[in-house]
Amino acid sequence: MYPAEIKEYHRPDSINQVFEIMAHHDEGESLLLAGGQSSMQAIKSRMLRPQCIIDLQNLQELKTVKVESGTLKIGAMVRYCELAKNSALDKNFTGLKDAATHVGDRQVRNRGTIGGSVCWNYAAACTPTAVLALDGRMHLVSSKGDSRVVKADDFFLGPLDTAKSESDILICVSFEQPETKAGSAYKKWGLVKDALPVVGICAFIKLDTSGLCCEARIAVTGMGLGAQRATAGEAALLSSDGDPKSIEAAIDGICATIDAPTDLSATSDYRYQLIRNLGFEVIQIAFKRASI
Amino acid sequence: MTSIKLTVNGEKFEEQIDNRLLLVDFLRDNLSLTGTHVGCTYEGVCGACTIHLDGDAVKSCMLLAVQADGHNITTVEGLSADGGLSDLQQAFNDEHGLQCGYCTPGILMNMADFLRENPNPNDEQIRHGLIGNLCRCTGYVHIVRAVKKAAKMLRDNEPEVRV
Repeated sequence: MYPAEIKEYHRPDSINQVFEIMAHHDEGESLLLAGGQSSMQAIKSRMLRPQCIIDLQNLQELKTVKVESGTLKIGAMVRYCELAKNSALDKNFTGLKDAATHVGDRQVRNRGTIGGSVCWNYAAACTPTAVLALDGRMHLVSSKGDSRVVKADDFFLGPLDTAKSESDILICVSFEQPETKAGSAYKKWGLVKDALPVVGICAFIKLDTSGLCCEARIAVTGMGLGAQRATAGEAALLSSDGDPKSIEAAIDGICATIDAPTDLSATSDYRYQLIRNLGFEVIQIAFKRASI
Repeated sequence: MTSIKLTVNGEKFEEQIDNRLLLVDFLRDNLSLTGTHVGCTYEGVCGACTIHLDGDAVKSCMLLAVQADGHNITTVEGLSADGGLSDLQQAFNDEHGLQCGYCTPGILMNMADFLRENPNPNDEQIRHGLIGNLCRCTGYVHIVRAVKKAAKMLRDNEPEVRV
């Protein structure tokens, strides 16, 4: 396992410079490198053989976390270790914090970035699942200069596939601060602690002024399809206060819409059981966090 | 080929290297710093090649050497400033935190960074911190004990912090 020949390595200082370098290469020849904790594995195994690597480490504008008029904006190059301790995620977006705290291991969290993870969109990955449940928006700029914002629902197309085209660069992932009380939680089960999720599940709950659920978003991963919404489960939570019966109904809904496969890691039945147990926990925690 | 300049264990280096050279091989083959180990043929799973990049523990098989251009690196050879054993290394010695020793450099580098962030860790925190390092000899019990002892030594030694 070792990289094939890499003809060029660039470390641009601005987004314009990134596009200038990309313009000199045909499609598929250049690769944007963020933290590299997934793409370096693909490069070493030669699944990817980029002629030219464009290392984004000097783009300071991609490394900030800020709140702008009610919107939390997390730069694409913000690392898991930074997400895990950033207080801007507290209260509403702890689900993303839960996910970031348990990605891989310390060394991976010290390098891996939110942008790298959502753009790679691995079949079983924590960050895309949390971003999907939390209704994240991907801010893209294309080499033609136009920028667009893509909702997570439209961004994650399937394993290793997103709405980002090769001529796009991801600037940040944003989350709207809810106007009502809200809470979120993520949990996963893997073959060893903090490993890739065999099942991962994230819940995002908004409460109205009387403490009843007015919006719920649930995303699941580990079914071989990347992060996916479980809308039938979400509907069962509306107008509930997070009582066990409503949560059970939500989980029945999730299980009815999700097709849990059997593979070397777990049987289908085992996956459904994991969805039940983890799902109950995350929905309960999300309600609890929302009510504070 | 790309020219890189970087600081390793306080010493400045300038080298012409292949773009595809992994940082772990640069350290071992170009700089002869063989304390950084390759345990899993660059698969990124064993943690034996863990080093500090600008103070953060990272796996050096997960980076190209060119990515380290302009950065500050510490390897296990640079863990103790005076050439003796650091408190962490002494604690591993005292508590028999190793058997074959192959994984030890990576564990020391990860735990040195971990202890800076967690000066008073419990067993669970240490075990969570160790997830990125495989040890096939010890069963981790003595490693956890050694890290705990090192934490106490470091706390007792304050304000003169040595990791």
